[in-house]
Amino acid sequence: MTEAFRRLLRTPQGALSIALLILLAAVCVAGPALAPYDPEQIDFLGRFSPPGALHWLGADQLGRDVLSRLLVGARSTVPLALLATLLGTLGGTVIGTVSAYLGGRWDEAIMRTIDAVMAVPGLLLALLLVSTLGNGSFNAAIAIAVAFAPGMARVTRSVALTVRNQDYVKAAIARGEGGGWIVFREMLPNVVAPVVIETTIRVAFAVMLFATLSFLGLGAQPPASEWGLMVSEARRYLHQAPWIIIAPSVAIGLTAIAFNLLGDGLRDALNPRDER
Amino acid sequence: MNPVLSVSGYTLDYVTSGGTHRALDDVSLAIAPGEVLGLVGESGSGKSSLVWSIMRHLPRNARELQGAIHLGDTDLRRATPKALLGIRGRRIGMVFQDPSTSLNPTLTLGRQLTEVLVRHRGFSKAAAWQEGIELLRRVELHQPEVLMRRYPHEVSGGEKQRVVIATAFGCRPELILFDEPTTALDVITGARILDLFRRLRAETGVAALYISHDLGLVSRIADRVAVMRRGKLVEEAAASTIFRAPAHEDTRRLVDAVPRPERRLVFDEPSGPVLLGARDIAVQYGRKTLFRPAPPPATRNVSLDVREGEILGVVGESGSGKSSIARALTGLAEFRGGIRLGKRPIAGVAQMDAAYRRAVQIVFQHPDTSLNPRQRVGEILGRPLRMFGGDAREIPRLLEQVRLPASYAGRWPHQLSGGEKQRVAIARAFAAKPALVICDEITAALDVSVQASIIDLLLALRAEHGTAYLFITHDLNLIRQIAHRIAVMRRGELVDLLAVDALQGESVHPYTRELIAASPTPVG
Repeated sequence: MTEAFRRLLRTPQGALSIALLILLAAVCVAGPALAPYDPEQIDFLGRFSPPGALHWLGADQLGRDVLSRLLVGARSTVPLALLATLLGTLGGTVIGTVSAYLGGRWDEAIMRTIDAVMAVPGLLLALLLVSTLGNGSFNAAIAIAVAFAPGMARVTRSVALTVRNQDYVKAAIARGEGGGWIVFREMLPNVVAPVVIETTIRVAFAVMLFATLSFLGLGAQPPASEWGLMVSEARRYLHQAPWIIIAPSVAIGLTAIAFNLLGDGLRDALNPRDER
Repeated sequence: MNPVLSVSGYTLDYVTSGGTHRALDDVSLAIAPGEVLGLVGESGSGKSSLVWSIMRHLPRNARELQGAIHLGDTDLRRATPKALLGIRGRRIGMVFQDPSTSLNPTLTLGRQLTEVLVRHRGFSKAAAWQEGIELLRRVELHQPEVLMRRYPHEVSGGEKQRVVIATAFGCRPELILFDEPTTALDVITGARILDLFRRLRAETGVAALYISHDLGLVSRIADRVAVMRRGKLVEEAAASTIFRAPAHEDTRRLVDAVPRPERRLVFDEPSGPVLLGARDIAVQYGRKTLFRPAPPPATRNVSLDVREGEILGVVGESGSGKSSIARALTGLAEFRGGIRLGKRPIAGVAQMDAAYRRAVQIVFQHPDTSLNPRQRVGEILGRPLRMFGGDAREIPRLLEQVRLPASYAGRWPHQLSGGEKQRVAIARAFAAKPALVICDEITAALDVSVQASIIDLLLALRAEHGTAYLFITHDLNLIRQIAHRIAVMRRGELVDLLAVDALQGESVHPYTRELIAASPTPVG
């Protein structure tokens, strides 16, 4: 694994993604300490201040410092997006592997159910769930996880099907291993590598989906400085003060790009054939 | 007479992150017009590197240090990429090991055959189609008009290989490279392909380089044989003499490794009671659905029994149901019929308890897929040990039994060679202290010399533990060396079950006789 990490750093996209992610993690940890102002401090005289010495990224419609809001807001955006992806991946991976292991009619039943769920667009499904569970960041994360799980299950199942036919799985069945051992000890470790790659790419989707839900008013609630919410609130002043919307949009974009690059880098670095 | 192909003093390195690796070291050989040169060596000896050097299709990290390769008067190393396009396929034909991957699955056979003819012989499409039919007829394919319109998945492996051969001969090349063309085929099909090769060669007088790891096979079809080891040519001799008088020690090792039915390796006769009896085993994959009827059963009413300490050979072509028997006996496939372990009847997979699964172990064909790549050797062996009443302290002893150092417990499967992986798989089977080990083509994916050492190991383990083997193979010569009795399967049915001595006798099924005839015994 350390060897794979070293190889990841050697690729340009891998190194860039790690650099961006370290920056992101630092902001998540130290954001409030770094913020020059209180992100919720309203200053009517400073409304719509353009970027300058006082406010590096300008101030918004209530005179709040955009940079401070961005730094503090990372906390309520990135960890929840990660959580949503992890939950969705975990659920989907286990469903997909179990489905491939059981095979036959069980497999049919599980996969057709998943097809039915996938027929509903992810955003719509997330909207439906949030409106049932109630607004809020955590519920939005759960909704995103549920929206992701079916796709992950399909990806995992296709990999798990080939793993299922490997002789070491047959050997485990022949010596009388139970389903739990075969799924979790023999199959899952061999399914994980492609899933990890898929996961990192999905984090980017989760960040954007999470921002979208907040933008629609279903995720984080004002006055939180969640990035998607910031974009949502700023859109009315797009012509008047574009910096209010540009800063959080760029932050969302960079986060998405960082995880996408990580996925690309991992695909090359995790190829088990070269793991010598 | 000028040679068709001459390689002189050719040296090739591969540059890897671990340093440079010498693939070919000062290799010189020549093939005269109409001559077949056999090139023999283990995997990794550089045979394939030589082929790719001749075809001018080397990977990027290859460094050619010195030497020359001439096709007739053409210096291949100096040939431009454009010139090479006119040489590959036109002047050098090639037949690969696995016909199922050397044909494009999305194009019809006719399209692939005619493309070469249009390109290299300047035929019009219609003329090429006619010529293609003619070529298929010459490789003894029935109904060539119909075959031309088929896709690769619609024909058998043997038919595919004939199409590849037809394509290679189609442009009347000066030289054809054969890279283990019968290895991926079953015995009888392979024997027929060899007959075809001999006939076409006599008709066309083409020169050929025939590559194989099986010295026995090469000695029967080549005029001269060159033996390669670690990138060097260690011996070159006439095919008729190399078996009788191998000069080099490596050649002798290869000669010794070739299975010969007359050289028995097992001398005792098992007299114990029946260990495992199978009655009327029928295996059926897939069931009838709304849209399609059930496929035909993989095996029908197969009955056989294995005595304690006995080696029972099961032979037959691919698809004859050999592996399905193994799958039924190990509970990997649902079956109808009855099994008895000693006195205990087993009616189905559900009744195979821990005692049964411990007594009957299986080793699979492909060393690459039979070990979990995410588990170290120690974990792979530790699990069955714990399940069947041993403990992890026995791992070094197990490894020693299969002649691997105890330090291998910390290794990952990808750090082992094919033969070493198969030894670990054998150790895993013996961790359960089994009474019967089912060996499903366990040496088919290995070199002949590695195969010999694995067989040696199995016999040593049997001598120590008194284990019985159900040895599934397509190699009749090999099984005649070790088995007490041989079961012959064809299309899911048992056609013969007889003592190994009776194999040459009168009361043998015609199919068994055909199998014996198709298994080449080495000359000399």
